[in-house]
Amino acid sequence: MKTVHVFFLLAGLTAYSPFTSADTMSLYSSYSLGSGIETGRQQMLTGIVRDGTGVALEGVSVTVKRTGFGVASDEEGKFSLEAVHPTDVLVFRSVGYQLLELEVGDRTTLNVVMEEEVAGLDEVVVVGYGTQRKSSVTAAISKVENRGLDQVPVGRPELALVGRLAGVNISNSRSNPGSAPIIRVRGSGSISASNDPLVVIDGFPGGSMGSVNMNDVESIEVLKDASSAAIYGSRGSGGVIIITTKKGKTGRPQLQLNAYAGVAEAIGHDDWISGDEFYNYIARYMNREYAWQGGDVSIPLWGDERRPPNFRVNPVIREGSYIWEDILLRPAPMQNYSLSVRGGTDNVTYYISGTYRDEQGTLLTTGYKTYAFRANVDANLAPGLKVGIMVSPNFADRRTSPVTMEAIVKTSPFVSPDPYPDGSYPRPLDYWGNSVSGQTSPLATLYGTFNTSSSMNNVGEMYAEATLGKGLSVRSSFGANITYGIAENFQSASATSNGLNSGSARDTRSINLLNENVLRYTGDFGGDHDLNAILGASFQKATSRTALQTAVAGSFNNETIRTLNNAIIDPSKSYTTKSRWGLISYFGRINYAYKGKYLVAASFRTDGSSRFGPNNRWGNFPSASIAWRISQEDFMRGNAVISELKPRVSYGVVGNFNIGDFSYLGTIDDVYYSPDNVLTKGWAQNAIGNGGLQWERTESYNIGLDLGFFDNRVTIAADYYRKKTTNLLYDVSVPAISGFPTALVNVGDVRNKGIEVELSSQNLIGDFKWSTAFNFSRNKNEVVDLGGVDEVINTHTRGMAWILRKGEPMFSYYGYKSLGVLVDQEDVDNSPVMDGSKPGNTKYADVSGPDGVPDGKITPDDRVILGSYLPKVTFGMVNDFSWKDFDLSIALQSSIGAKMYNLENLYYQGATVSAIRRSLVENQWWSPSEPGNGKEPATALSQLAWVSNSDYYLEDASFLAIRNLNLGYSLPQSFSERFKISNLRLFASISNLLMITKKGFHGYNPEGFTGNESDGINSMPGFNNGSEPINRVYTLGVNAIF
Amino acid sequence: MTQKTVKPLTKYILLVIFAAFSACNGILELTPDSELTEANFFKTAADMDGAVLGIYSNYQARFPRDWTISEMLSDNTYRTGYFNIGGIDELNNLSITSENPLFADFWQRCYQGVFRANSVIHYIDNPTDYVGNQKAELTGEALFMRSLLYFDLVKVFGGVPLVTSKLTVEETYSVPRSSEAEIYQQIVADLKQAIDLLPMKAATADGRANKEAAVALLAKVFVYLSDWEEAKIYLDRVEEFGFQLEPDFSSLWSLSSENNREVIFAMTYLDGENGQPLSTDFLPYFGVTGVSSRGNENIFPTWDLYKLYEEGDSRKDKTITPYWKSPNSPPAESPVWYPFVSKFAVQHTPNSSGLDLPVLRYADMVLLKAEVLYRLNQPDQALAELNRVRKRAFGNDAHYYSMADITTEEAFIDKLLLERRLEFAYENERWFDLVRTGRYLTELKSVDRYYNPSDGAVQTVELNPQEHHRYMPIPRSQIDLVGSDVLQQNQGYN
Repeated sequence: MKTVHVFFLLAGLTAYSPFTSADTMSLYSSYSLGSGIETGRQQMLTGIVRDGTGVALEGVSVTVKRTGFGVASDEEGKFSLEAVHPTDVLVFRSVGYQLLELEVGDRTTLNVVMEEEVAGLDEVVVVGYGTQRKSSVTAAISKVENRGLDQVPVGRPELALVGRLAGVNISNSRSNPGSAPIIRVRGSGSISASNDPLVVIDGFPGGSMGSVNMNDVESIEVLKDASSAAIYGSRGSGGVIIITTKKGKTGRPQLQLNAYAGVAEAIGHDDWISGDEFYNYIARYMNREYAWQGGDVSIPLWGDERRPPNFRVNPVIREGSYIWEDILLRPAPMQNYSLSVRGGTDNVTYYISGTYRDEQGTLLTTGYKTYAFRANVDANLAPGLKVGIMVSPNFADRRTSPVTMEAIVKTSPFVSPDPYPDGSYPRPLDYWGNSVSGQTSPLATLYGTFNTSSSMNNVGEMYAEATLGKGLSVRSSFGANITYGIAENFQSASATSNGLNSGSARDTRSINLLNENVLRYTGDFGGDHDLNAILGASFQKATSRTALQTAVAGSFNNETIRTLNNAIIDPSKSYTTKSRWGLISYFGRINYAYKGKYLVAASFRTDGSSRFGPNNRWGNFPSASIAWRISQEDFMRGNAVISELKPRVSYGVVGNFNIGDFSYLGTIDDVYYSPDNVLTKGWAQNAIGNGGLQWERTESYNIGLDLGFFDNRVTIAADYYRKKTTNLLYDVSVPAISGFPTALVNVGDVRNKGIEVELSSQNLIGDFKWSTAFNFSRNKNEVVDLGGVDEVINTHTRGMAWILRKGEPMFSYYGYKSLGVLVDQEDVDNSPVMDGSKPGNTKYADVSGPDGVPDGKITPDDRVILGSYLPKVTFGMVNDFSWKDFDLSIALQSSIGAKMYNLENLYYQGATVSAIRRSLVENQWWSPSEPGNGKEPATALSQLAWVSNSDYYLEDASFLAIRNLNLGYSLPQSFSERFKISNLRLFASISNLLMITKKGFHGYNPEGFTGNESDGINSMPGFNNGSEPINRVYTLGVNAIF
Repeated sequence: MTQKTVKPLTKYILLVIFAAFSACNGILELTPDSELTEANFFKTAADMDGAVLGIYSNYQARFPRDWTISEMLSDNTYRTGYFNIGGIDELNNLSITSENPLFADFWQRCYQGVFRANSVIHYIDNPTDYVGNQKAELTGEALFMRSLLYFDLVKVFGGVPLVTSKLTVEETYSVPRSSEAEIYQQIVADLKQAIDLLPMKAATADGRANKEAAVALLAKVFVYLSDWEEAKIYLDRVEEFGFQLEPDFSSLWSLSSENNREVIFAMTYLDGENGQPLSTDFLPYFGVTGVSSRGNENIFPTWDLYKLYEEGDSRKDKTITPYWKSPNSPPAESPVWYPFVSKFAVQHTPNSSGLDLPVLRYADMVLLKAEVLYRLNQPDQALAELNRVRKRAFGNDAHYYSMADITTEEAFIDKLLLERRLEFAYENERWFDLVRTGRYLTELKSVDRYYNPSDGAVQTVELNPQEHHRYMPIPRSQIDLVGSDVLQQNQGYN
């Protein structure tokens, strides 16, 4: 009777045969024979209802189809029915579970397993200011439910979502404990204003995902297109992430414990060299340098006065084989404990939780600790009047490294990590007073620097919801997002190369108050017309205050006391400042459905913001969308293959106001001068006022198709979108004679277009279950207009540039195309070269000249676009398997086409006699007789002007990663019941199990970069100088429900 | 679940709350708590005084890095392997492009200063609480600083856009370059007015403009204009102020005596809090014992310069230190031949030195006067002025030049430029002296850079100075913004 159907992801759909009703039953339920004894025509029947994980289900309605008589299961999931015929069919119903029908047959006891609803028709999706059935959604919305996400061992909730949402790119550019990843929904549209999505936590817009604890999360929705995000109007241009936390449920208290602990291991490099090999490369480096200066390299490297000191090589560097990466990175413990209780009566429901997590960094001294609490309480005060309160205080302590990785892992292998008797650490200079790096020991830097921050945040809200009439209700809420933060820095004299201790303390406070009032109407007319409408008003006001105190460098009396009472305060670096902004919004939305087939939605929001001048405060953000559920038409009904077919089209406008609070005013800043050698404050205007500043607008179109096959066992959502951001809030270059390099204006257009596919499939059902969720996204970013100029180039000191150019992705790399290396003088003489080129320098492609044609010289005209930090395509795939009491989940992620400018490589190529990575030097040019592989130029510090402006340090950062593997075992019912546990699951999890990068990629993290991603025209995304290694994290955990 | 309706009373209460909040428009009418704006600043005499300090602050920040242009172009320096500052290599090798970030930065900073000066002049009539001559003095300071800024611009670029009022952003797109002569005209007019408005040095704070500075600058401007008569008038006026050459050259560059009788106008700095990076810029990377725990090692002094210092010249050891021992290196290691520029090497916090930097000093006036007197056909008096500087350098008259040394104009200019080079090495004079005398075309053809004392080998580079190097390129980014019809590039850089 048990049938197993195998689904293959993208094939075999057409070969699928229609189900029989018996098949259907077997697909969605499994039941076992009890100790059945035939007792005649009528019988007494008892049973237990559980969910797929074995948890007893309370309140399941069990009805006998023939008589209509029904009972509900009790809190242990048990039910009993009398006078049942063997031919009777029982119907099991429970919210969130699939309807189940069973024929009684000859059994007297039943073990019933209710399957959760497959993502599909009747899933509820949270949208702005309300919820909708997925079947009636007309916009592009992605949803992730918290099924085991709270068991993924990551420091911040965003990271558990990596690879799970189409069109949402979450990249962890810095991998230190507690650092926030960059989230981009359907690409970046803005140059100077922020592209971060708006985070809405239980209806409160403007939260931080860092303050959310994954244990408390019920589901996460991402509003991707403008038609869904437009209800958040002025702040929707980066997309909207809606986080819904768990609420109380009527029933006896359910206690849940989620605990895991493990260890994180940095994924480092394996090609550091030391000893003779190190000495030999340094010798070649110095000789190469000397040869360029016209020196005679046959002069001995050491002990000969004829060789200038800068080109000597002290044999002491041959000693020692300390690999500093191994010294500085340690296996680091991580632990997480969460306890929650949810329950309630008919009138009051509650959810209360507490979490403690401690994540030590793999880099010495770093770490991140959080303590979080949450209480969500809802109460029915009177018929038709409901109130609720939500509080979520959380505390975080963090200690970070004062330096990026390249500055410390480059420490030379001859430098010992063992302290001197006085406790100080050896420096490179202690071994050789010249040519080496002037750094201190990384251990002195890390142990002697206390960069700590702690913060307290609470998003709290209370609301009242009243029913005013049939289908009409009003909800009023008051919320506050309050954050206090303290950042204290202290650095002892021994920790820095300038030998001066330093310290500062920054206190920040921000209070964000919100009142929202929403009138809601739900009605259906004559059965065919469904109408849903909201009308609302929202008032938000934010104030913030910062206080900074800084010690005069070197003024700490001693280093025992690290607070500033022990130092002299530097008046020019100590201050308090305050700022404010306000937002008033009115909005409305109508969703209309005719016969559940023809769906129309429209919304409108108008926002007034204090961030713009009085004449430009208000902005309007309309949206409209339609969908047609073809599958509900008569001619499609009952189609055995296609269970859902819904094309949808949407249009909407969203805004962006993420600029400074008073950027429209010409602000005056304090500056300093020292007449009579007395520090004196002066004033100077630091920005041009622009009273005409207004909203940035993003207009977007979305065409989508929702498809379901075989009763939605396979679902596909495909979307094509085009969004154009106009009136960019753009800090544009202006003529310097204005007194300023830039002015914030509304100019320029950026377009993003792309496709997304989300596919989910229950490949195997039955005892062995296998389901797959796959997503694919491709986004193309293009600068359309820059307001009068065709391009804006931002060139780094080392020669690489980031360009904004019409028709190209924002901040594409711009530099010289390399063809290899100039092997010898003859090659230099016969090739188009840049002024000053020598043998060993890059051979560049001569692509143009002043007249637009190659001119035999390498000049700035030869610079070309070399790629972008943005991936061309990203994939994600999650496979879930279960067999009996075992379950396994594997999450893969892949990104293709991004490039990183790994300038950090130069630190590992011999400069300042620092640590060397073999793969970065073994093929390079050392002399005409040792030209390497002909592709890799000489990379001395003195030659960077002929190397680092090319694509040499630009590396393909495509990758495929197994981001998480989670293996679980649920203890048998018999065992857990003995301990009064309704479900006990043990799990083992490995994060970043596998990371495959391209062969030529040398960074620690293919998503890692340290340059500023959104800093207006000064942005240098993809510029990597020492982004941290990613960690492989092994954890063991337990999840118990009592 | 059946829906129940709230009692009418509750309903009305809710509607009232709804309405009340819908009325609070005050949320949008916010003014900054912690930032001044154009609308509420420039109201009082104290505001204007602060705005004038803003001009100095601009100059104070830029001035210590002027060497990246004026010294890198000259034969006094060559860049090191550290390559900390983008663009200096092009100047070092005289292969200059209009995309060089150094000129873009210099242009930007100069016009930022001009903007601040123009703002002061624009709003100067606003306040009504000036005390005494304050309004005139503040105006004089703004005019002086504006002319100093334009002098810096015109020396580097030739004619530049002349902005003497507050412009809207739109207006800045249509201001073409004025001619070199027009810029000088404005400088002369501004300085003449400043001379009348500014108080004497004794009555001003060190580091602020004064009458003497305006007179001295105007004298120098006239020398650059080759207007010898006018130059002499103002140089003679300088003499009336009683400046004198410090007997000890090295006391000019010492924290304890930075405020001396030779300084006419200087930028003032405070160690650690409001310091300059120049003292650090030329030191070896690992620092110098007693001076700084580290250096920026941006440039080395050329052998071309160092070999010119005679024994006994007190400027030699002050300007360049030939041997160096890395601080904290193993004690057994002996000092190595590692010449570095030590003129500004006082003890300081790295990159934040408190040493004041003279913008105008009296020795400059003395040598300018020598030049002017020679041009005015008074060679003996010219010789006397030249020898004043030599006497201070050597502490005696044994190294005086004689009339026999300056028989021809060529010979005189040789000696004068040599003296200016030795005296003002790394003080941003050399390149402009070479340009205004046309000598850059010959002097820079070959430069001795490194000298190896163990074998006497000298490393020499051949450069290719060309006529168009007289002016540096207008930053290409600026031309791109307004179009080459508005802002024309100098010849030789297209």
